[in-house]
Amino acid sequence: MGPLIPNGFIPFEWSSIIAIVIGIFFGFILEASGFSSSRKLAGVFYGYDFAVLKVFFTAAITSLIGLFYMDYLGYVDMSSLYVHPTYLWGAIIGGAIMGIGFVTGGFCPGTSLSAVAIGKIDAIVNVLGIMVGIFIFSELYTLFEPLYNGYFQGNVTLVDSLGINKYWFVFILTVVAIIMFAASDMIRKRVKKVFY
Amino acid sequence: MVNRKLVKFLSLRYKILAAVLIVLAGGLVLLPKYEKHEGISPEELLSKTISPERYISTDDIAHKIINQDPSFILIDVRDENSFKEYTLPNAINIPLKKILDNDATMYINQNQFDVVFFSNDNFYSDQAWILCNRLGYKNLHVLKGGINKWFNTIINPQKPTEDMPKDALDLYSTRKASSMYFGVVYPEQVEIKTPEPVKKAVPKKIITVKKKKKAPEGGC
Repeated sequence: MGPLIPNGFIPFEWSSIIAIVIGIFFGFILEASGFSSSRKLAGVFYGYDFAVLKVFFTAAITSLIGLFYMDYLGYVDMSSLYVHPTYLWGAIIGGAIMGIGFVTGGFCPGTSLSAVAIGKIDAIVNVLGIMVGIFIFSELYTLFEPLYNGYFQGNVTLVDSLGINKYWFVFILTVVAIIMFAASDMIRKRVKKVFY
Repeated sequence: MVNRKLVKFLSLRYKILAAVLIVLAGGLVLLPKYEKHEGISPEELLSKTISPERYISTDDIAHKIINQDPSFILIDVRDENSFKEYTLPNAINIPLKKILDNDATMYINQNQFDVVFFSNDNFYSDQAWILCNRLGYKNLHVLKGGINKWFNTIINPQKPTEDMPKDALDLYSTRKASSMYFGVVYPEQVEIKTPEPVKKAVPKKIITVKKKKKAPEGGC
């Protein structure tokens, strides 16, 4: 039966409205879990707070397991889900730039907006920086275009490119994630407590 | 009062959640696997099979060809020899054997044109239709009756007898007109030039007026 919009259970026109509703809840939960604080977000890089790692990995694994069960039971057709296309070098360089921005600014794009909503000045500066970056990219688009549109790998997933059984992949990823959570907890206990 | 049992249980909450995740992920690995149905669902195939849009009549195709309708492509699924012998105008030859080749999918798997399959009857073209539908291609049709019907209706339409309704006569005249478009020549179309009778030079009759012999007039 699912996904609901491509299969016509929900008209396509509703997708923007649903996106706004989901976005409001997403922002609310980001703020509720303390992700509007740049100190908490940057903690993952300095080793005193691993909430970011735990929250996002748990979300990814939960949705992954849930989707695979729904696919197995026939409620969702995984093959008609949108898979983001991979532009290899664009993703690597863009990811590196985004990582540097994350460490220095203390926000990723989503959390910066959620922090702007509660009036944090550093987040406002961060969002202005994002705007300037977008402006520079748009103005120099012709220069960046070969990188932006090049090295196209198709709409591949890790399962496709590694060529392993998808169910084993989910299991291994879950085990790795839980080991990571335990390890990060151990690291946090040894690091001097930071109050923020 | 603090419920000690609950506190003890809740102190383990992260471990319990981690265990739940591992059990669920492990369940995915252990679940019995079954072959998933590929392509379109049987219900969808059935609804396409009984849809009246599946077949296109020879009259419709003739009308489209004559009006130079650009919205469709004709695909001849017969073998190459039959294709060379006779085919419909602008048809592409993709024998049924080669319908799954990469060259063929280029023509069939697209959303711009209606695809019309035809063969001698609609037997092979129906098979091509089913195959391509199972692959999930869109806008597929079959020429009802195939080339045989094309011959019997468009190229060589049966002349209705006089006791048939007017519709039959109208249909006949339409088909006759389209057959003329496809190059059929009718006897009445050809003007039989009756050779003009050569005028023989008729010798002029010379009417000779014979002078009556004047009888001797007597005078008294």
